Amino acid sequence: MKTALKILAVLAIGTALGLGATWLFVIRGAMPGGVTDGPWKTNLLIGSSGGDMATRASVAVHGLLALNRSETIYYSTDHDSDGNVLDGACTYLVTGRDPPARWWSITAYAADDYLIPNPAKRYSVSRTSVTRNAHEEFAATVSRKHFPKDWIALQNGRFNLTLRLYNPAASVAADPAHVALPTLKKVSCS
Amino acid sequence: MSAREWIGWIAATIVVAVAVHLASVWYLPHAVMHRALSKMGAVNTIHHQKRVDEHARGVVRPSPDLLYSACPFDLSNGPLEVKAPVPPGTYWSVSAFDNNTNNFFALNDRQIGGQPLELIILPPHGGVEPMHIAGRLVIRAPTANGLVLFRTLVNDDRQFAKIDAIRRQATCGTWDKTRDGASNGG
Repeated sequence: MKTALKILAVLAIGTALGLGATWLFVIRGAMPGGVTDGPWKTNLLIGSSGGDMATRASVAVHGLLALNRSETIYYSTDHDSDGNVLDGACTYLVTGRDPPARWWSITAYAADDYLIPNPAKRYSVSRTSVTRNAHEEFAATVSRKHFPKDWIALQNGRFNLTLRLYNPAASVAADPAHVALPTLKKVSCS
Repeated sequence: MSAREWIGWIAATIVVAVAVHLASVWYLPHAVMHRALSKMGAVNTIHHQKRVDEHARGVVRPSPDLLYSACPFDLSNGPLEVKAPVPPGTYWSVSAFDNNTNNFFALNDRQIGGQPLELIILPPHGGVEPMHIAGRLVIRAPTANGLVLFRTLVNDDRQFAKIDAIRRQATCGTWDKTRDGASNGG
């Protein structure tokens, strides 16, 4: 009887530890193989189908139904270019030139990774929607305050941005840490 | 309990923990895909999702600029036939994922070269041989269950109605060999 209890305890504790490790390292944990370019982070394993068992599990959790690197490369950030955590109470300016891809977009997500509610439905700016100056540079405003154009709407609280490159140039996959990506500067906070 | 007994029980606990961890990591892609497929509705038919906004809370970080059309498939009753016109002037892709989330097929508007998509997906084993289906793109799925996913980019909001109407012409269903044979003969 005592031995049976001990075996039950071994099974229960072992199962809890095993599942706990999966939750901690695979589901909550960061993906292996991350790359940084300024404030932007990406992972070329997203959308891949090879790799070992742990990588496949991580790709399934973090990049479900994502496309491979020749179709789309996804960069994301929850920090500005000076390393400060992105805060919905502040206004930011995203400036740069068109990244090397057939099409690109920058989208804001709330802390829960879903779109930020706003009546104007200004969830993103893109290669087609953004306006450029004589030097081919764009400057989009990320803010709770309403702007007539080149505007991504925020709400209070933490948020993150995703930059999608559709059919990126071969140079992006070859060296994802040195792509000329937009910078992200804090303008003011209220 | 002696120290030796303690070490034995602790070792047994570690063995169980490692085994459970490895099994759960191995099973995780299958569980993730099963959950995603179960939310998408009936198999072997296409579901044109409406444009993503803040109410879309199925898959994290949806793109507000893409229109998604999904066809969860079950090939146990035979091959799947997928047909779609390709909207001009924008990014479009069709991709297929197996039951373990692996992306086993992808094709975009540039690669297809202006032709409409005519795709047959064969079950992992058996079924007709690829060469017996003329004039079609034929692929074999690694697993009987999976998902075909269309992405159509709305690169210009003024073109939304036009792009949306074209992508809604895509169809997906169990392949009707008899109908196909008749059309080939005629």
